[in-house]
Amino acid sequence: MNKLGLDVKVRKIEQNAPEMVEIQCHEIDHRVLEIVSFVKARQGQVTGWIGEKQYELAISDICYLEAVDNKVFIYCSKEVYETRQKLYELEEILTQKNFLRISKSVLLNLMKVQALTPALNGRFTAILMNKEEVIISRKYVPELKKTLKGGK
Amino acid sequence: MRGKEFIKTLFMSFFIIVTLVNVATYILGITLQPEIQFGYEALLSPLIYGFFGVLPFAIMYSNRELSVRQLLIRKSVQLLLIELLLLYISFGGGMFDPSNTRLAMPLAGSILIIYVLVNLILWLLDLNTAKSLTNELIDFQKNHNEADISVSDD
Repeated sequence: MNKLGLDVKVRKIEQNAPEMVEIQCHEIDHRVLEIVSFVKARQGQVTGWIGEKQYELAISDICYLEAVDNKVFIYCSKEVYETRQKLYELEEILTQKNFLRISKSVLLNLMKVQALTPALNGRFTAILMNKEEVIISRKYVPELKKTLKGGK
Repeated sequence: MRGKEFIKTLFMSFFIIVTLVNVATYILGITLQPEIQFGYEALLSPLIYGFFGVLPFAIMYSNRELSVRQLLIRKSVQLLLIELLLLYISFGGGMFDPSNTRLAMPLAGSILIIYVLVNLILWLLDLNTAKSLTNELIDFQKNHNEADISVSDD
């Protein structure tokens, strides 16, 4: 048993058998929910919450994610959800799905951006398809240029 | 703003200031003192103004991302320092006769206009960058949408 109290077993299966992740636990606590969220994110879904209600969100529907006071919020076109995953955990998965870190606390879905305009002090503003605006820090502009040129 | 980005902005600002000081010197000279003739040393004055003009840019240096309020405060202090510094080197440094106070207002006005123009030119350069980034973004989205379609066809 490891420090988290969960044993990890990986078993190879036959080619025609469906691949799956099974968690055997005494109760569905935050550790289990985090693992479930991680697996879903790898498959193109993120778990979001509004109050106690849980929603499965398609990654392609997300405009951006923002970390505020140790909480991470998912901004879709109309709704805002909370996620229990950390921003850096989501960043690992979402950068492969055309998301990019644009400031210390924001991950932006590049597929949801309509245009870029200059902001004050060398920053840029990303205007999203739903007309919402998000600031891109100057520090992250070189990374944006690199990604758009296909460097990532 | 910090690091390489700060140095780049500093150099760009310097050369923009030098160019605009040349233009301002021509306009002010021909309007206020058309009879004055200069020696070769006068060619250095735009460089001197450029050098002292960028020194107060140091106030914009920050390791943290500045808020709009902090930015506006720093910009106001920067403008004030530029005005004081350039008026001081103009009248105290012997470029102009300190008793010729009728030059002070046009000079202060020129400094203000040049300050606004430098910021406008830097913003226009950013606008140009934003436009080319938007075009690259549209290509990026087109390429990735096409990639998604070809994957789903398989």
